[in-house]
Amino acid sequence: MDKLEPIQRRRGLVAIDGAMALIAILLVVQFWLLSATLEAFLAGHTSPVVPAAIFSGLLFGACAALNFFVNGID
Amino acid sequence: MHGYEFYVDPSRCIGCQSCVKACEECETHRGKSMINFDFIDRSRTTATAAYVCWHCDEPTCAMVCPADAIKKGEDGVVQSSLKPRCIGCANCVLACPFGIPKIFPALDQMMKCDMCYDRTSVGKRPMCATVCPSQALSYVRPDEIAGRREKPTNVFYFGKQKITTRVYMMTPAETDSVSLDVLDYVWENSHVTVSQSQ
Amino acid sequence: MSLFRSPSKDPLWKDEFSVFTSDERYVTRRQFTKFLTLASLGMFVGNVWIVAKAYFAKKPVYPTAEVVALGEIPVRGVKLFTYPTPQDNCILVRTGEEEYVAYSQKCTHLSCAVYYSAKNDRLECPCHQGFFSIQDGSVLQGPPPRPLPQIVLEREGGKLVATGVRVNGNG
Repeated sequence: MDKLEPIQRRRGLVAIDGAMALIAILLVVQFWLLSATLEAFLAGHTSPVVPAAIFSGLLFGACAALNFFVNGID
Repeated sequence: MHGYEFYVDPSRCIGCQSCVKACEECETHRGKSMINFDFIDRSRTTATAAYVCWHCDEPTCAMVCPADAIKKGEDGVVQSSLKPRCIGCANCVLACPFGIPKIFPALDQMMKCDMCYDRTSVGKRPMCATVCPSQALSYVRPDEIAGRREKPTNVFYFGKQKITTRVYMMTPAETDSVSLDVLDYVWENSHVTVSQSQ
Repeated sequence: MSLFRSPSKDPLWKDEFSVFTSDERYVTRRQFTKFLTLASLGMFVGNVWIVAKAYFAKKPVYPTAEVVALGEIPVRGVKLFTYPTPQDNCILVRTGEEEYVAYSQKCTHLSCAVYYSAKNDRLECPCHQGFFSIQDGSVLQGPPPRPLPQIVLEREGGKLVATGVRVNGNG
């Protein structure tokens, strides 16, 4: 059972809200990155492909870290 | 909520049943009173006691509900069963140690006291506490109750199970918890809760 | 999915169907965050797939197609043709006595057809004023993000033939 005081639980919820908003923004960025990379690749430019994959991996890593943060907040 | 707490003092109850009638007036449970009104031993005494839901910190009724229909909100009030979810199984009626939830088979629904949530959520008193002439049911600030001789407690022992509640019971000053095990009252001169020894 | 649950406390069903309304919302948010993370993983996999396609794709084989006869168009003249497929419109410009250049006509911004401006000696896109260099198709100005793909020309006898498509700018 949850043993937190109501005020601590409320602060936890606010922190989770913030983490969720941050993840959503990262996801939008990552989605744009995927679409831009795909467009460049289809046009024949392969130079941005590897850096884009690396950065996408970093964004995913940030999302995963925030996910663990949200799960472990209590 | 809003600095007020609910205090129940059965020794003050005079059996007028004003609380029962006042509770009945509420539209949200359509003329059915949510007060648990007891005649202690009717053949021998006129003593009565009126109880409301104790709004336990870990509500047994909610935990045994198979339909997840009973919820405890952030302000500590255990709500009555949610209309779309309650299936009328009466599991909560059987499980509640205080015997508070009432099952209405005609409606296939359980209903119980929700501390007049439509009133207390905006800072008003529950109906029963408003009308009780002896203030056996009272909804006041803790500093006002401190003036009484009895002391409030919200710890109950049912055998080895400890239950803490939001609603306080007024008990003799030396008592710090209410135990419902007959062994705990065998020794009259000392208040030893035998059932929780060790 | 036990990898992602915090190691403490109650069985999953108690978390998912909590009797406390504050915990109810909390669990829903937790699951939503898990879903967002999976979506992020999916997009990362998409990027990795693009990398795989880029490095393991076969080199494209282009046909050889006759474009124009030498001397057929005047200096600073233009010929439109299609290469490598009939859907790929291209533009050939004679920039000097012996110099010819050809590019794909699709603007890299939003695929409008570019035209050759003899006055400014550049390829211009009328839609959003994107200008390309006639020398190598690089972007001089405007919204296009990438240079125009260049058509590789070779002389065969008295004719110019297109033998491939080259993407300039670190293609």
